Amino acid sequence: MNTEQRFWNPVLETMPLEKIRELQLKKFRKIFDWAYNHSKFHRSLYDKAGIKPGDIRSMDDIRHVPKVEKSMMRDIQRKDPFPYGDALCVPLEEVVEFRQTSGTTGQPVYQPDTWQDWDWWAESWAFILWAQGYRPSDRVFIPFGYNIFVAFWAGHYAAEKLGCEVVPGGVLDTKARILKIQELQATAMMATPTYVLGMADTARDKLDIDPSSLTIDKITCAGEPGASIPTTKKRMEEAWGAKVYDHAGATEIGAWSFECTEQSGGLHVNEALFLVEIEDTETGEIIEEPGKRGKMIITALDRQAMPCVRFDSKDIIEWSPEPCPCGRTFRILKGGVVGRSDDITKVKGVLLSPSAIEEVVRGIEGLSDEFEVIVDKVGDVDRITLKIELQPDAVSQQESVQRQLVDQLRLKTNLGYKLEFHDYGTLPRYDVKAKRFRDLRKNH
Amino acid sequence: MTQQNELVEMDAKIQTMKKAALELESMADDFPALSRNLARVLSSLKMLELNITDILDL
Repeated sequence: MNTEQRFWNPVLETMPLEKIRELQLKKFRKIFDWAYNHSKFHRSLYDKAGIKPGDIRSMDDIRHVPKVEKSMMRDIQRKDPFPYGDALCVPLEEVVEFRQTSGTTGQPVYQPDTWQDWDWWAESWAFILWAQGYRPSDRVFIPFGYNIFVAFWAGHYAAEKLGCEVVPGGVLDTKARILKIQELQATAMMATPTYVLGMADTARDKLDIDPSSLTIDKITCAGEPGASIPTTKKRMEEAWGAKVYDHAGATEIGAWSFECTEQSGGLHVNEALFLVEIEDTETGEIIEEPGKRGKMIITALDRQAMPCVRFDSKDIIEWSPEPCPCGRTFRILKGGVVGRSDDITKVKGVLLSPSAIEEVVRGIEGLSDEFEVIVDKVGDVDRITLKIELQPDAVSQQESVQRQLVDQLRLKTNLGYKLEFHDYGTLPRYDVKAKRFRDLRKNH
Repeated sequence: MTQQNELVEMDAKIQTMKKAALELESMADDFPALSRNLARVLSSLKMLELNITDILDL
């Protein structure tokens, strides 16, 4: 095998756009037909809309297919065939994997996969890892809890598929994981941005190890947008002396996007396995042109046990005007997933995205990686409190850090904040996904 | 760059493997070790089809 080959699939990844659309249409018709004929839930949804499989003849026709929302999946679950309900398209005995969503936005959704689906998960991840420079010579350490969340499970299987040596970091604690990376001279790692930064802190503060002195040369992030936020990416890359690559995926969708080694400021959509549409949140029109943000409607074109057809992911994305210099024709989403339509909240009449605050905090030297944002009301007026920590060696710089924070926050978010400086190490630390944003107004 | 005729040749070999796997599967009713391993083989063959066969008629 030629490990210099840049592409996992040199045909699919460089196919002209019109051919990709042709492939997507062909596959969409197939998965729509599959869902219509095997899932009562999907058939009922499509019958109500008056759409049958033969009606899909063009990409425009796809836009008339009703969207599926997560709340709809929640409603049908925990019923027969238990626990997946009637969106299940295969006999229960063909289901070999159970996973569930993290429940960040409500009751978790249960996700069944057949072995073919599970192979497909690993295949989607194989595109990602190959594009990020993983090769058979890599020893990949996965510091992940191996549990009911899909997280890095398929990354593990994909790394094996590539021929890498995989070290499962399972139940080890953070210190033991770092020592194992050191002992085995692991070259690659997969984790959430929060954990990548947390591990670096632990290495320095508790083990007196400079993480950049370890042998990790690439890190694949998922689960949070941090690796597409330039200031957070920079912190991770500097801490570990490694390239940090983003990937976005979801339990009910699959591993649908990836950053490649060019790091061109966005995520490639794997358009051979997924159809991504961007919908204008106000008009409902599909956005084709670059530079205009909307929410993602996504179809997993080959997933069978519980199909994902025009799923309203709530992710906010936009097409990049520039192709990636890597040569892939898979389109790029500028800045990755830039927010979620259900995360973006109005404060004092201004739209606020938590990732904009993260970008500011992580861009100021002297601040630790941790922060917390609380939105509440004082009387009728919204208030945003930003809790931050100074690095131990930056305590004397509080005044200057505060000035930079106020200026940058005003510039990037158009809002004023109540700033609270806390002692280093006193704000909550997270092992997987962080919960740094709390809107208390919604609880009243 | 892989040429169309190479893809056609690759697909022919994939279909030969699939046919053999399906024939074996039909003989595996009383042979769990054969049956379950073939289920995995067929899934892997499906991944080959995603990578090769699906592109052929474009």
